[in-house]
Amino acid sequence: MVFLLSKAPTQARKPIVWILTFVSGGVFVLFKYWPQPINFDKAKNLPNGPIESVGSLLNDLTSVFGTISQVLTAFMLGLGIFSILRIHGTRIAKQQKDWFFSVVLLVTMFSMVVFGYWDFHIRAANRTIDYDNAANWGFVNMGRDFLFEGLLQQMDAAMFSIIAFFILSAAYRAFRARSVEATIMLGTALLVIISLMGAVASGWDSAVDRIATGSNHDLLVNLKISEIANWITKTLQTPAITGIKFGIGLGTLSMALRIWLGLERGGK
Amino acid sequence: MKTKGIPKYIVYLLLVICASIPLFFTIPVPGKPFDSSADTFKTLMALQPGDTVLLASDWTGSTRGESKAQMISVMRLLMRKQVKFALWSTADPQSPRCAQDTISEVNEMIKKEGGKPYVRWDDWVQCGFYPSSDVAINNVATDVRKAFGGKRDTDTAGKLRPVFESPVLEKIQKIEDFKLVIDMTASKTSDYHVQFISGKKVPLLFSVTGVMVPETNVYYNSGQIVGYLGGLKGVFDMEKMMEYGLNVPDKDGKIQVASEKVPDKIEGFPGKDNIGNGTKYYPTLHSALLLMIVLVVIGNVEMFKANKAAKKS
Repeated sequence: MVFLLSKAPTQARKPIVWILTFVSGGVFVLFKYWPQPINFDKAKNLPNGPIESVGSLLNDLTSVFGTISQVLTAFMLGLGIFSILRIHGTRIAKQQKDWFFSVVLLVTMFSMVVFGYWDFHIRAANRTIDYDNAANWGFVNMGRDFLFEGLLQQMDAAMFSIIAFFILSAAYRAFRARSVEATIMLGTALLVIISLMGAVASGWDSAVDRIATGSNHDLLVNLKISEIANWITKTLQTPAITGIKFGIGLGTLSMALRIWLGLERGGK
Repeated sequence: MKTKGIPKYIVYLLLVICASIPLFFTIPVPGKPFDSSADTFKTLMALQPGDTVLLASDWTGSTRGESKAQMISVMRLLMRKQVKFALWSTADPQSPRCAQDTISEVNEMIKKEGGKPYVRWDDWVQCGFYPSSDVAINNVATDVRKAFGGKRDTDTAGKLRPVFESPVLEKIQKIEDFKLVIDMTASKTSDYHVQFISGKKVPLLFSVTGVMVPETNVYYNSGQIVGYLGGLKGVFDMEKMMEYGLNVPDKDGKIQVASEKVPDKIEGFPGKDNIGNGTKYYPTLHSALLLMIVLVVIGNVEMFKANKAAKKS
């Protein structure tokens, strides 16, 4: 398809892409709205009548278009590699600012690719050996593990952990009771945070339990931190998030319609 | 009014101290399990030996503190109950490798406690990575045999064979044939699971990171998922329930882990090695959260003082 597109006249490319988008999108829309036979087992039965036949055809087509979409997504990996090679290759060739970091990037990328595929090849060629057991590893398997588990995964975790420092610093500097709304939010957040601290929450709840039992006031049980946090979550948080998600859904739907109908800039 | 306050590097240093010190000690922390954790435990414990679960592993090293600990606790339970599982990923190409390494680790743990280690092909299969989470999950929900039809895995004789010939998937015709669908995720794949799978007649269970808890609660409260493990607290709950059971009285008649949401008495795995990173890291979470509360209070006191001083002058 990419080859055909590259051979098509420039003016025809956008309409071709739009037609393909419209047809594939249309299959998914039709599949959702077309009545589907209940308990229909394709392996055992043939479709009964035109409605079931179309339903069955749409079912098959969604798989086909879904697979095409996945293949196209996989192409993005190649596009990404090409883009990295082009940008950083140029930077190294012209010895632009910080070109050394580009060398590090390309060397690490190729090391991972080489060790990854080499490890894959060894595992594929010796399928009877249990490579999940580290005792069976050779140099290449160890190299792959060092690069993936020893470096990439650890650096990934370290990068993500740094967020904790920013969250704490931001909480200290920005979480202030400047207005009534901010004070309500601050109080609510503190209650939810305390509810996550099992030791504190446990002590609070036990104290409320003791008071409630002693005073014979059942209503006091509602002052347990677990109950308060539960109420905040169910009564305030869930509807708010549902509303946000609903809004996002409507936005996504309108965006999808614009793309599907070719109304986006550069669509048709 | 702006205040100078505590310098950033002091705040960072305090966090390092608060996050590190609890790791050197074993601190028992009490805590009631969240309803979602109790429901997760109940659902997993209801599985029978030989049942098959579809397990989506959609996490990578960035969230390993929570996600890997969750996977270890769930894997331990599945392996002890001899539940088969088909593994697949859609979020990140690194995910399958992360999951396989975790399975190997849990296998070693199971071997140490005298259990039967899981054998690839006989007890679990790798159905691979699929780009485009939404499309892939929709494909699996629509026709699982077609979605995984082209996938092969290594059998015990070292031969590559279609995954549907394995003892794990041989009886699976459609998504409803799985006893449970689990998504262990740190990304949007949970939304797609709800979108495409929650309408099918198969229970759906999540294990998500701490920041995903509020949005996952929406699906839990609506009944679209049967339960979920949320962040480190979820792992802590799971480990405690596996250790002490749920609503099970000990020798002194005291119930260590109780839940009003799940009143059933569910035995755990006493005597086995149930404690992991959830229990180890939970005190660290406590001290970090406590530090956050203290800093927020200090910040507000500083602001009030500064405002007062400004009004006087």
